Amino acid sequence: MLSRVADSLYWMSRYMERTDGILRMLRINYASSQDDIQEFSWKPVLRIFSYLDEEKSTSLAQQSRAVLQYMVTEKENVNSVLNIVTRARENARSVQDHITKEVWQCLNDFYHTIRDESVNRNLYIEDPVSTLDVLIRHGLLYYGTMDITMARGEGYAFINIGKYLERGVQSADILDIKFSDLQYDVERMDTTYWKYLLLSISGYELYLKTYRTGFDARNVVGQIVLSEDFPRSVLYSVNQLRRYFERVKSDGNKEAWKKIEFMIGRIQSRIEYSTVESILRQGLHPYLNGVKEELYEVGIALNHHYFAYS
Amino acid sequence: MQTGELLNNYNVEPNVWDEMYAALSVRPQYQGVVEFLQQMSIEELNKKEELAKRLFMSQGITFTVYSSGEGIEKIFPFDIIPRIITAAEWTYIESGIKQRLKALNLFLKDVYNNQFILKDGIVPVEMIYSSPHFLREMHGFPVPHDIYVHIAGIDLIRDHDGTFYVLEDNLRTPSGVSYMLENREITKRIFPDIIPRSNVRTVMEYPVILHRNLVSLSPRQTANPTVVLLTPGIYNSAYFEHTTLARLMGVELVEGRDLVVDNHRVYMKTTAGLQQVDVIYRRVDDDFLDPLDFQPDSMLGVAGIMSAYRKGNVAIVNAVGNGVADDKAIYAFVPAMIRYYLNEEPILKNVPTYQLGRPEEREHVFGNMSRMVIKKTNESGGYGMLMGHTASDEEIDRYKHEILRDPRQYIAQPIISLSTSPCYMNGRLKPRRIDLRPYALCGPDGIQIVPGGLTRVALREGSLVVNSSQGGGSKDTWVLAG
Repeated sequence: MLSRVADSLYWMSRYMERTDGILRMLRINYASSQDDIQEFSWKPVLRIFSYLDEEKSTSLAQQSRAVLQYMVTEKENVNSVLNIVTRARENARSVQDHITKEVWQCLNDFYHTIRDESVNRNLYIEDPVSTLDVLIRHGLLYYGTMDITMARGEGYAFINIGKYLERGVQSADILDIKFSDLQYDVERMDTTYWKYLLLSISGYELYLKTYRTGFDARNVVGQIVLSEDFPRSVLYSVNQLRRYFERVKSDGNKEAWKKIEFMIGRIQSRIEYSTVESILRQGLHPYLNGVKEELYEVGIALNHHYFAYS
Repeated sequence: MQTGELLNNYNVEPNVWDEMYAALSVRPQYQGVVEFLQQMSIEELNKKEELAKRLFMSQGITFTVYSSGEGIEKIFPFDIIPRIITAAEWTYIESGIKQRLKALNLFLKDVYNNQFILKDGIVPVEMIYSSPHFLREMHGFPVPHDIYVHIAGIDLIRDHDGTFYVLEDNLRTPSGVSYMLENREITKRIFPDIIPRSNVRTVMEYPVILHRNLVSLSPRQTANPTVVLLTPGIYNSAYFEHTTLARLMGVELVEGRDLVVDNHRVYMKTTAGLQQVDVIYRRVDDDFLDPLDFQPDSMLGVAGIMSAYRKGNVAIVNAVGNGVADDKAIYAFVPAMIRYYLNEEPILKNVPTYQLGRPEEREHVFGNMSRMVIKKTNESGGYGMLMGHTASDEEIDRYKHEILRDPRQYIAQPIISLSTSPCYMNGRLKPRRIDLRPYALCGPDGIQIVPGGLTRVALREGSLVVNSSQGGGSKDTWVLAG
């Protein structure tokens, strides 16, 4: 497979994963802004997904509609869903012969939908959840179409490598920032706070089934970092990353493959042999930051050994 | 409104060949379509038109216009009423194009090798050496199977009596074939059942034949040669076509930056290292192909690709330097070529062409400017044209001045009226001028022409220019089986 093609598939997939993350985050935070929690603020979301400075994000922190518009349809925001979907589509457009026609049409339809003026208008005057749901469904259609139509070749492997690398970083980010808002105080017993955090990454129901004792920050860390079954946990993402990286092993690029495999293996072991206690002893922030840094390094190494074409 | 009225209100222009109507009655080949239209209401037709637009948009059959840093997706306008060609007409067109291409291929081989046609004085030497598309780099080197033109698009028009004329030969990188394929797919969706009922020949073979020809050109004796399609990239207006063809043939779509030349061999950079490339179907113009031989600042090509080509380590399709044969000034000599190389009378007619480099012909043209179209010899896409009947005196004077500065750059032709075909526009049928570009494929086994082509239509009322850059659209083109 061409290096450029692998690169485009990888980024298409990362952008789509990011889109899904942002949209779910917005949907749940909007719901939570309508609930009667006293100190709801959009600040954590803005910190994770935008490059706004402190002053700007403080001024937006209480204005749900403005945040939604900024995060979904604002052209000036490089990380708005509109811009990310556009980039995903541009990447897909240059590799149309490597994704199925169905996948391409999915992305193309998504692109045309989000560019439609009505999205912006509806976010402002109508029920924004309906609009976000439409967009989220486009993303789901993409995942499903990918699963059903794509051949399980090298391209599919790079798509999944991009997807799970992005997801691992995203989950670590979300957890870190949500905790930083509480000054990493694991004794906080704020049920609604944890409930919305879990909802935003579709982990609420699993939490209820796993932990019968109510909400405890330690268990939240356990599920989001260490669970093997929770598809958005950091460990699950890294396991999948390793699994798909195995598939791109080839004789042509043995040295590089071994090097990156070693890097991924190290992250995997590091998480696998952690416990909630060991993580908290070390400090949640340094721990998550370490994992994130190492995932970024994997991205850089992939770029260097697999995608470099200039 | 009823569709019956729709047909009654269709007014054919006087002295123009209409594809559907002859002497106030519908030609037999259009009977089926007309009956189908009569069963439908205007609302239904409008819906069909909407559906066609939506299908083009959602499948990304678009080109992007970049303005103020933002890409806007446009669709190439499509008219829902098909253009129909009878079996007899097609047999004639097919044999004419085959003959013409045979001669043009021999001509290219000749001018880049022995130059018999120049020595025998059939084509003036200065015509060749003054052509910017004549490339010395191609001199004296055998291209695989002696084929220069692997893919050709021959533009045909019909005069008021229905006679076909060749308007232009496109022997470099003719585009539009993806619209031939996609327009058919769209018609299948908007007019269910009517295609099989009408006995329309399929165009689906095109990518299969093209792929087979490309594989057969591989210089390396290997069971599975690497064929690639070289595109200038996603900003090219024909990018959609490049991806479609790559997908339909199952070949790799590459950009210049994906390729590298080492020791006169071309490789592509893959995730598993370098992989040798055997055949390149390039959609990059000669000028940009190799910065070492041509435009030194081109980023679209591959440094050293010409050396690999000359060494015979890679096949390039179409051959480099073909522009010398589809130059608008050389066009006038094609009938002579056919007689010279094949000893046959040309089947398809040429539009009479005046060389403005010749003083007596120039005088004649200058005296009859209102009945002439002036064309620049090395421009395409409908640029650099002057239509004498609509131009102002001022424009004509300016053009005369330009011509006198470098007369070799211009030719003139009498204005041919172009046939009309009904187009569905805002609930009405209106006659609009059309041309026809069939696509011919030449491989080691001979020339094949897929029954169909691209019918381009001048959507502006009264316009005779069908190019998409000048407000043209397209139609699905049906060739009927006997």
